[in-house]
Amino acid sequence: MSASGEREVMLDVRTQDMELNMGPQHPATHGVMRILCRVDGELVTGAQPHLGYLHRCAEKIGENVEWLQYLPYTDRYDYLAAMNNNLGYSMAVESVMGIEIPRRAQMLRTICAELNRIGSHLIAFGTYGLDLGAITPFLYAFREREWMMALFEKICGARLTYSYIRIGGVFNDAPPGWLSEVERFCDVFDEKWKEYVDLLMLNQIFIKRTANVGVIPAKMAIDYGLTGPLLRGSGVNWDLRQDIPYELYAEIVKDGAFSIPLGSGEHGTLGDCWDRFYVRVMEMRESVKIVRWCLDNIKPGPIIAEIPKVLRVPAGEAYVGIENPRGELGHYVVSDGGKVAIRCRVRGPSFVNLAVLEEVMVGVLLGDAVAIIGSTDIVVGETDR
Amino acid sequence: MDFKGIHDRLRAIQAPGLLGADEPREADPEVEGDKGRAGDPFVLVDPQAMPSFLECCRADSVLSFEMVIDQTATDPGTDEDHFWVNIQLLSLAHKHRLAVKAILPKSDPVMPTSALVHKTCRWHERECAEMFGITFEGHPDPRNILLPDDWDGNPLRKDYEYPEEYHGISCK
Repeated sequence: MSASGEREVMLDVRTQDMELNMGPQHPATHGVMRILCRVDGELVTGAQPHLGYLHRCAEKIGENVEWLQYLPYTDRYDYLAAMNNNLGYSMAVESVMGIEIPRRAQMLRTICAELNRIGSHLIAFGTYGLDLGAITPFLYAFREREWMMALFEKICGARLTYSYIRIGGVFNDAPPGWLSEVERFCDVFDEKWKEYVDLLMLNQIFIKRTANVGVIPAKMAIDYGLTGPLLRGSGVNWDLRQDIPYELYAEIVKDGAFSIPLGSGEHGTLGDCWDRFYVRVMEMRESVKIVRWCLDNIKPGPIIAEIPKVLRVPAGEAYVGIENPRGELGHYVVSDGGKVAIRCRVRGPSFVNLAVLEEVMVGVLLGDAVAIIGSTDIVVGETDR
Repeated sequence: MDFKGIHDRLRAIQAPGLLGADEPREADPEVEGDKGRAGDPFVLVDPQAMPSFLECCRADSVLSFEMVIDQTATDPGTDEDHFWVNIQLLSLAHKHRLAVKAILPKSDPVMPTSALVHKTCRWHERECAEMFGITFEGHPDPRNILLPDDWDGNPLRKDYEYPEEYHGISCK
């Protein structure tokens, strides 16, 4: 066809704005969430996340059950990082109570939180591959995650919702041989980790799908209050474990046992989907280093501080934020001196991180929209709480 | 910077709406029923001046609170006549935090929106609005976020009455 004829055909193809619902049941939404996209052909011209399908009002439950009874509910918002949730809530209550945690308990807490971070990032790694059409990495990721869950099963009896970290310490000491098995896990994981890098992170097709897509500049990330791998993917060197250290992290940072991976725009633009993915993959190895540090330094001792069976928290309030795999998990607790909380606020990182989609998803192709949602690594249980 | 330093700086730059500070203290044995207060210190701010307070905290180079990490509200009890609006500020540059509290009367829970200063407040304020019935004037998108659009009542209020049913679904 002649050049002019081609133009006539193009003029004849008209597109119009259409509203397209992604979800509530859509593989790329990682749960029950709906994103209302306005599309012009393949181009997304507007996106509006609709949440609340999993809303259970955890915060209201927190005002109706006793302090210790609320702990199992914390498992259920970010169910991929339940250890970290237990830790965040326990630390908030301990902060109001002003109690000292035995050192061995802190060690066990750190080991479990970091192992759980590896498990959570493995899911992020695997499902991101799934979103983009690579099914194999998901199966590889579950191989190591299975072992991690078996380790947790040995120490606390549960595989997903642990309630292991309690107010005052942990509820069970490591069974005989557990610590050496964790060490074996670290050795094996370090080897397997290299497979993830080759299999997906440096895969040319994967890089083409994720580099230069969904760029979040550092300024936008800060304005939206993004934390965790989303913020670090944009090149901002901010990790609570390093910058406002809690528990043992001050010592670990002083020993230089781990570093904070940052996005650098290596394959595209700083703050793109690949950078966020890179941060997660690199963080897994850093977590292994933290676990090793703990294994080198752990000594026998008590595992829980003396606290009464029915806990009464003194009147007061505290906000404690910790570095969850997805960003800052904050608990704001208010007590009037009684057996139940006046307020039990949860600042879920997924909820805050999700807000940026309204802006980042505009002007991208629909296929890239899936890549962007996946790169935020949300857990809907936490956005809705 | 510690809390005292931050509070002194806020006073020195005359941060708009700053009303005072509240720090943890021991129970006073002279006063009957005094429980003291544990936990973190916070500053009290006039809710009507909140957006300019946040803007001032961000602009000052000594404080540089670039990030609103959390915003929520609290209903301290059915016999209290006010809500608290709680904001947690974070400075990435100086690695310090500040808890901010604004006291808002339950009879007229209206305050200006901070969503135009920090975009993260857009979703936080939508949640506060539906959960407590607080109105944020000038909010660009004041829809419900977690609750359905036709949900009755504000669940996190202490005087909230649980619904019997919702569209024919029993809530018991």
